[in-house]
Amino acid sequence: MEVGFLGLGIMGKAMARNLLRNGFRVTVWNRTLSKCQELVSEGASVGETPASVVKKCKYTIAMLSDPSAALSVVFDKDGVLEEISSGKGYIDMSTVDADTSSKISEAITKKGGYFLEAPVSGSKKPAEDGQLVILAAGGKELYEEITPAFNVLGKKSFFLGEVGNGAKMKLVVNMIMGSMMNALSEGLCLADKSGLNPQTLLDVLDLGGVANPMFKLKGPAMIKGSYAPAFPLKHQQKDMRLALALGDEHAVSMPVAATANEAFKKARGLGLGDHDFSAVFEAVKGKGSSGDA
Amino acid sequence: MRYSGGTSGPYRDPFSSSSASSSPSLALREPLLPSPMAAPSILCPRIPIAPLRRPSLLLPRSFSAFASPVSSRLPDEAPKGKEFSGSVGFLGLGIMGSPMALNLLKAGCDVTVWNRTKSKCDHLISLGAKFGSSPAEVTSSCNVTFAMLADPGSALVVACGTNGAAEGMGPGKGYVDVSTVDGATSKLINKQIKDTGGSFLEAPVSGSKKPAEDGQLIFLTAGDASLYETVAPLLDIMGKLRFYLGDVGNGAAMKIVVNMIMGSMMASFSEGLLLSEKVGLDPNVLIEVVSQGAISAPMYSVKGPSMVKAAYPTAFPLKHQQKDLRLALGLAESVSQPIPIAAAANELYKVAKSRGLSDQDFSAVIEALRTKMHSSEQ
Repeated sequence: MEVGFLGLGIMGKAMARNLLRNGFRVTVWNRTLSKCQELVSEGASVGETPASVVKKCKYTIAMLSDPSAALSVVFDKDGVLEEISSGKGYIDMSTVDADTSSKISEAITKKGGYFLEAPVSGSKKPAEDGQLVILAAGGKELYEEITPAFNVLGKKSFFLGEVGNGAKMKLVVNMIMGSMMNALSEGLCLADKSGLNPQTLLDVLDLGGVANPMFKLKGPAMIKGSYAPAFPLKHQQKDMRLALALGDEHAVSMPVAATANEAFKKARGLGLGDHDFSAVFEAVKGKGSSGDA
Repeated sequence: MRYSGGTSGPYRDPFSSSSASSSPSLALREPLLPSPMAAPSILCPRIPIAPLRRPSLLLPRSFSAFASPVSSRLPDEAPKGKEFSGSVGFLGLGIMGSPMALNLLKAGCDVTVWNRTKSKCDHLISLGAKFGSSPAEVTSSCNVTFAMLADPGSALVVACGTNGAAEGMGPGKGYVDVSTVDGATSKLINKQIKDTGGSFLEAPVSGSKKPAEDGQLIFLTAGDASLYETVAPLLDIMGKLRFYLGDVGNGAAMKIVVNMIMGSMMASFSEGLLLSEKVGLDPNVLIEVVSQGAISAPMYSVKGPSMVKAAYPTAFPLKHQQKDLRLALGLAESVSQPIPIAAAANELYKVAKSRGLSDQDFSAVIEALRTKMHSSEQ
């Protein structure tokens, strides 16, 4: 099977690589073209523009960092829209708000193409291991047709109905995740300041009803102050913001999420945007208030 | 449990007509099914003392996390290390105290119980427990007494009030408070007990009703190290793991921090469920999606489905979760640590309490997020 792949960041590169390794012919594009080279040496072809990729491939997957990049790839000059046509499918796996997704969906389908939104739950390692959870919505037929690719990329896929539902589900999940990361950060700080061993706290947490892979994986690195980005903090804060906007739209009370968002904003202000989102721990610790790093 | 002395005395030995029996009564328990979190079997029940600070444990870190899972013992294998021979008191037979005392009784311990409402003792008495008419009476007739009360106020009154536990304490006796309280209360009780010549161990637990029933609690102990060693076999009856954390106050702090995280997580999960519902998603699908990913926690899969149905069967009363968040805020203030997430979560639990949900499971906090009209409602 042949697919186009737009966007070779932390996620896109790992995902495209997985497809290549599993026998897919992949034509890649990235805004910074040089980032395509590594995959070219692994068998990928290169498209100079999103339009050229779509022209060549029946199915094109996109993995961009945020709503504005997702829109740009579609609507700008040499964008997807220029070559999308009847029989072609566009699968946007970026995490965006429902409105952005709807806008893209409408434009694609107006030109005769098929659209599927399919944001994922899972970061760098699950992407590398083909263990993503895919939250698809939109064109059911396209969902069925792209299943072979989803089976390679992920461990489970959900079809959630109309366009917008995938985006919303992703935002809700990441909202909970962002709040949980803040709760863990507060716990580690409080444990430390109370004279407890933070690793012992992690050990206790791992034994009971609140045990979860995220705490187990990231906790020890946080204690060491190590934040190699699996999921950049700036993207987590973007997701919290989008989730809060969704809550605003429907007048849903979300005080914990709102508080978590504040901590992520503060962390961005401390210059931690490109670190892993667990770096919010530094903001919770209270660093940066008097000029220290 | 080995029994010292002959057939006289209050000790009970259901397995043998002779006092010379050395069959380990700890083997009375049904073998536990290994919990999903239990490790491969390790026979030595001793736990390395968890250090207060970095950098290292006495044994490799991986050992401490796996140490002494009771479920790894075979039914007729004699437990290594010391065993407990003596009488055990138990004060407080609520949601937690009742199954904990029951487990001790079923294991063959000589148990004397007390509860503020006497009728709650009846079931255990019918199974062989003795009755003490006051905490003082219990501690005076027992070697070691456990207390499982609802909050700092009751723990203090039971320990230090009139006819309280302290009045029956003395040298050679131990008092183990498994209630969840703040450090100051614990230190106060510690002092009162030590003043009698007795020894004190704070030992709050992680785990709610079902782990209590199943003997799968986690003890977060601190205080008298030799009392800890003495009661370890009893903790192993009631629980799956125990930590010794050093000075009095450390157990309380650890418990408070754990429950702070739990309370915040439940509040956040509630926001997610409600948001998903309001934007047209199926909250049950959200629960499934969460269970597939990095934030999958047993608490979510266990409680999520009933939360969606607006049912909150009480495993951990909401009022106690709110109490724990309040204690966390107090602890944080004492060390000047801002905890805005916990503070926001605390407000939600307070709202839930004001709506009459105190005795529901703490997952009922989701109701606090639903807007309600105030004027003509109950």
